Amino acid sequence: MTADHQTRYIVLAPDSEITPDQLARNIHALGLDVVVKETCFGVVVSGKNDEVKRTVNEVRKLDPNRIFSKVRGFPVGDQRRCRAHKGSRPGFAQLEKEWKDLVLIEKGLQCAERGERPPECKRPSKMPVSDLAKICKEECR
Amino acid sequence: MKVLIVPPNSLILFDLVERFGHEPLSVMGALQERIENREIESPPMNITVDDVKKGLKYAGIEVPSGIRGRLAVYGPLIDQAEAAVIMEDAPFMFGCVGCARTNEMMKLLIRKRKIPILELDYPENEDEAKAMVAKLKAFLEGLK
Amino acid sequence: MIKIAQLSCGTDYSGVQSEIENAATAVGGKMVYPDVDMEKINAAVEKFGFNPVSPQLKLMIARAMSLAEKRYDADAVFIASCFRCAEAALVRTELRKFIQNNTRLPVVTYSFTERTKAGQLLTRMEALVTIVERKELLARERQVGLTAGLDSGSSTTKAMIMRDNQIIGKAWTPTADVFSSAERVLAQALEQAGVKQSELEAIGTTGYGRFTLGKKFNAKLVQEELTVNSKGAVWLANKQKGEATIIDIGGMDNKAITIRDGIPDNFTMGGICAGASGRFMELTAKRLGVEITELGALADKGDPSKVKMNSYCSIFGIQDLVTSLAAGNTLEDVASAACHSVAEQIYEQQLQEIEVRQPVIQVGGTSLISGLVTAMEHTLGQRPIVPPNSQYIGAAGAALLSSGFLEGR
Repeated sequence: MTADHQTRYIVLAPDSEITPDQLARNIHALGLDVVVKETCFGVVVSGKNDEVKRTVNEVRKLDPNRIFSKVRGFPVGDQRRCRAHKGSRPGFAQLEKEWKDLVLIEKGLQCAERGERPPECKRPSKMPVSDLAKICKEECR
Repeated sequence: MKVLIVPPNSLILFDLVERFGHEPLSVMGALQERIENREIESPPMNITVDDVKKGLKYAGIEVPSGIRGRLAVYGPLIDQAEAAVIMEDAPFMFGCVGCARTNEMMKLLIRKRKIPILELDYPENEDEAKAMVAKLKAFLEGLK
Repeated sequence: MIKIAQLSCGTDYSGVQSEIENAATAVGGKMVYPDVDMEKINAAVEKFGFNPVSPQLKLMIARAMSLAEKRYDADAVFIASCFRCAEAALVRTELRKFIQNNTRLPVVTYSFTERTKAGQLLTRMEALVTIVERKELLARERQVGLTAGLDSGSSTTKAMIMRDNQIIGKAWTPTADVFSSAERVLAQALEQAGVKQSELEAIGTTGYGRFTLGKKFNAKLVQEELTVNSKGAVWLANKQKGEATIIDIGGMDNKAITIRDGIPDNFTMGGICAGASGRFMELTAKRLGVEITELGALADKGDPSKVKMNSYCSIFGIQDLVTSLAAGNTLEDVASAACHSVAEQIYEQQLQEIEVRQPVIQVGGTSLISGLVTAMEHTLGQRPIVPPNSQYIGAAGAALLSSGFLEGR
């Protein structure tokens, strides 16, 4: 992020009913001084910091739990990272995976919004050696 | 507060930290400053020999250059951080976050800072996502 | 434009990515980055059989798989990772083998530091591009017309005059000023051949000083020493058909090149440490108080097992040498140990990077040191062929290939 300028992804969750095109049109309608480019996940916007932040805050209202955002390192269409010149960016696969999982985050946000107590989650740990030994003994009988 | 996110390029963490009222410190932010503000000497990331030397602050000369170069970018973020969220087992971490050793070193450097840290796992299902968001929200609200 | 696929980890963060791209551009190549789908990454890693912890290495594997399965089109492959990274070194080597086994693409590997500059990569990149772009020229087996080859090496400069596939003049001198050294050897070779410079139909230049000489002599061929030397080697050894491996231990760097029907298809080039170089042989001879021309025969009389010497660094190597002399070892044993130290390092470093194909042809000025050829024989289990005029490979290759530019011949 530079002192006064930034580029941002605004990402629509896969189950959002808003299309990137609608999102872009909504941003244009805000009349802010930002550059907008549609992508398969949503849009990339760039402009002055406060204008970009206002854009994010405004468009989030369209679908708060299904619109996400993060800063992007490179400006839009930068040759140094442009897909046409460099192939997929190394960060693309991660973005794609996180984008797919935004449906999970959406559920998390809804849960938090409703003030629900989240379920207890415990990942299975490895079986204690004593238990394994017991099974082995039983199997060998 | 300035909250450092790990993986430092995560969309999910960047969004949630900002959504819950804090300033996320990310590698994209650090790179944006590096790419746009300076004269480009070494495209694409503008990491130069001097930067890799600065990485010596975090790891010795026997450590591969890619680790020192990455740490030179992460170092100032770690130094600025007032809190941190570390999400383990994040998938498909290439490029900036492509080196497992650097990522481990980054976590150690954060832990040594003695700032509030929340450690999470990347959610694999709906229940885990609900628990993750709730923990993160509580942590971030607690920082205020 | 020759497309060189880059499979790498750490280049952006070591500040060397632009050096790699500059080196490729300088020789008419372009670095490209095979695209892979997210879904294919894990499957590629599983198929490859090595699951590295670092994700970027998984991406390297997936990119290699994309090339092997012809889902991405490239002409050559450049595999690079950070110097001193053990996991990446394993992946780099195994990917090189994988590419060699599953594609016909020439491949070169490199481990870089933050100090790596385009200049260090230039010869490798140029050779990759030449192998792809000049296949037809490299297939030339006979020299035609009257041509000269100039090889401006780091230690010596060589000239050769050829007419109708015969050597008619040759000369060498230690390299001082690049141009005047070349001028001197060319004049001597021309005199021996009994022809004038103006009669030459084409000149070819190779070696470190190739660009300077190319301009000064208006050369028709200005080409890196990896491909030129290998052509010279198979011509001198009369092994134009079938497979072979060329080992060229040079003054500053070493090359190992594999050949199929006279055309190089893979190579490796070392040169970070000087413990395995012609320069180390020179230092050894000087410290032992013998001429470099006598070192080989001296080494042949010695027993290398009596002296421990295996330093990668020429300075530490000489230190070992001094210590072993002080301990009372004979000059013969020490000379032999020095030759074995070089041979072992060539085996450990260069020959692990390529598939050694028989026969092995040892060339370059160092191939005249018989003790070093014996040491290579002990290391490889078979004595390498040393063709006549083996120190003139570069000049012979340049004279041969430059004749390919003569119209209608």
